[in-house]
Amino acid sequence: MRSILVELKNNWIGYLVFLVVMALVVGGFVQAFPSVGEAFEDDLEGSENIEISVVDREDYQEITLEWIEKEWAHNYTLKVGMIPQMLVPEDTIENITENNYTYDLSIENEEIPERYFMVLAVGEGEDGNRRIEMIGIESNVERSGGLQAFGIDYSDLRSVLSMFWGIFFVLLIAIYIAYISVNSVSKDYDDGRMDILLTKPVSRRRYLLEKFFTISSYTLILLTVIGLVTVASVYSLGELSTVSVSTLFITTLLSWPVFLVIIAATFLAAVYLEDSKKAVGFAFLFVLIQFGLETVGELTQGLEYLKSFSVISYWDHNSLFFGEAINWGEIGLLFVVAAVLLIIALTIFEKKDVKG
Amino acid sequence: MKKNQIPVMKIRGLTKKYGDVIGIKDLDLDIYKGEIMGFLGPNGAGKTTTIRACLGLLNKTAGDVKIFGLDSHKDSLEIYRRTGYLPGDFGMYEDLKVKTILKFLLSQSGVSDETKMKRLAKRLELDMGKKYGNLSKGNKQKVGIVQAFMADQDLIIMDEPTTGLDPLMQQKFYKLLREERDKGKTIFMSSHILAEVEEVCDRVAIIRNGELQVIEKIDSLKEKMGKKLKIEFDNHVDTSIFKMEGVEDFEIDGKWATMIVTKNLDEVIKKISKQNIINMSLETFSLEQLFLTYYSDGGSGR
Repeated sequence: MRSILVELKNNWIGYLVFLVVMALVVGGFVQAFPSVGEAFEDDLEGSENIEISVVDREDYQEITLEWIEKEWAHNYTLKVGMIPQMLVPEDTIENITENNYTYDLSIENEEIPERYFMVLAVGEGEDGNRRIEMIGIESNVERSGGLQAFGIDYSDLRSVLSMFWGIFFVLLIAIYIAYISVNSVSKDYDDGRMDILLTKPVSRRRYLLEKFFTISSYTLILLTVIGLVTVASVYSLGELSTVSVSTLFITTLLSWPVFLVIIAATFLAAVYLEDSKKAVGFAFLFVLIQFGLETVGELTQGLEYLKSFSVISYWDHNSLFFGEAINWGEIGLLFVVAAVLLIIALTIFEKKDVKG
Repeated sequence: MKKNQIPVMKIRGLTKKYGDVIGIKDLDLDIYKGEIMGFLGPNGAGKTTTIRACLGLLNKTAGDVKIFGLDSHKDSLEIYRRTGYLPGDFGMYEDLKVKTILKFLLSQSGVSDETKMKRLAKRLELDMGKKYGNLSKGNKQKVGIVQAFMADQDLIIMDEPTTGLDPLMQQKFYKLLREERDKGKTIFMSSHILAEVEEVCDRVAIIRNGELQVIEKIDSLKEKMGKKLKIEFDNHVDTSIFKMEGVEDFEIDGKWATMIVTKNLDEVIKKISKQNIINMSLETFSLEQLFLTYYSDGGSGR
């Protein structure tokens, strides 16, 4: 136990600073939610100029759009696209003479596609030249915000929390945890104390397990604090009616096994490479590859299978924040992966020459 | 030496290779209870590799090391319980106080009594209230020395222990070594400081390019190497009188004659006394000279 205390004593300032910073960032982020939500409410430019009504039919959606008239306009153009920026519209209807149009949107695989509708007024300017002006953009799905293409609804705290946990907080914590994990072992080599520590009557296995226990415990404390700060921050906003305390807290804590895998993987790198610079490089690469696989798998049709190679995807924060059932099988799998990596690290560490 | 005694450390055929590079080759060495064994060699000779292989920090390519009759690798934990170690490149937690570090290392050795730790720190004038990172190189080395001795273990292994110590502190350290030996502790220390080995060690093992060149008591080693006799005569001398057993490397330069006398010194002196002598010196080989001799003639000794 004394080696755990020494590890904490030696690093407590760094551990504490990161914990406080993360608590402030997470708490502050939740506090910023109302203004962030408002800022994105009118995100679709000119949406106030368009009235939209949607009627669901058997295999299509009947979308009626009515917009304000422009006196100078000869006709109107309607562009339909998957993103509001309309970079590559999938449909364009020109020469609409009325200020309304009914568009039939096909439903495929029983899923209503999310589409954006841009109305353009076409006419002649006072100088006699052709004049085109956008009246506005509207969507068939009741969502607001700038990242509709990713399915984010900024009006819902759960969506926002889920996105920021998935993209930002986990990445930040993962990189920090990977860094301190590598350092806790590699610094013992670099600073010339490994020989001393390993010639005390303490087995190499115990040495590494105590390090693992220390950083795992710190991670759990970190997540607990972040979870509590999140709950407190959400409570102070009066948003606990939409997100339950237990959902927030449990979702946060359930990310722990992801970090256990990261700690075990970085320990493996540290004992194999015996060099802090190389091991830190490997650890960061490991974390970034995990995120890369998850992001590409999430956003790219046909490459969804890549997600299965990322440990992060086994912590399904999207479902968890919305109160869906916990997949204990996937959580258990993360524990198994962490244990396997740790056993490999222990085996290598016990058999390898100790770098002098 | 001590033929009836079981060695504390028994090394047989110890070989360590790094790929095709040989670190140490077929090394045999016995170290007995209550002696200070010096392990001498230049940088890269294989001293550190030998020590680290004996302590199980490096895997052996071949050979066998027994410490207290236990296998150095299989029974390493039991050996560590009874062995203090100071590595050549000693380092500790920079942000922790010396006292915290020493207490931690003491507890790792399974010892709770801090008496010796405090006594050693006081004796070596080590401020235990300072952070390790704020210490000078010499004081950091003192931390290493204190931690090697504080658990009062039976065997102390040290790799270049006086690195960074000032001469005064070195003398204190030598005194400490002798005291520990007199208490029955066994000490195995590597060094490239010949005077240090000469001053404190009972026996010395000289290693070169990973191979052991000689193991000998320091006194008998010097004896075997002989004494350098230098005489100034006031007239021409018949050199044939020195052609006798025990006189080697005879040289004459004008009135000066030099020779190495390995035995029959008494007879040599008697013969010299019959000549007219102006000046004469009899010089015992220092370990440094022995060392240079070993390394200048391919390690075969004289």
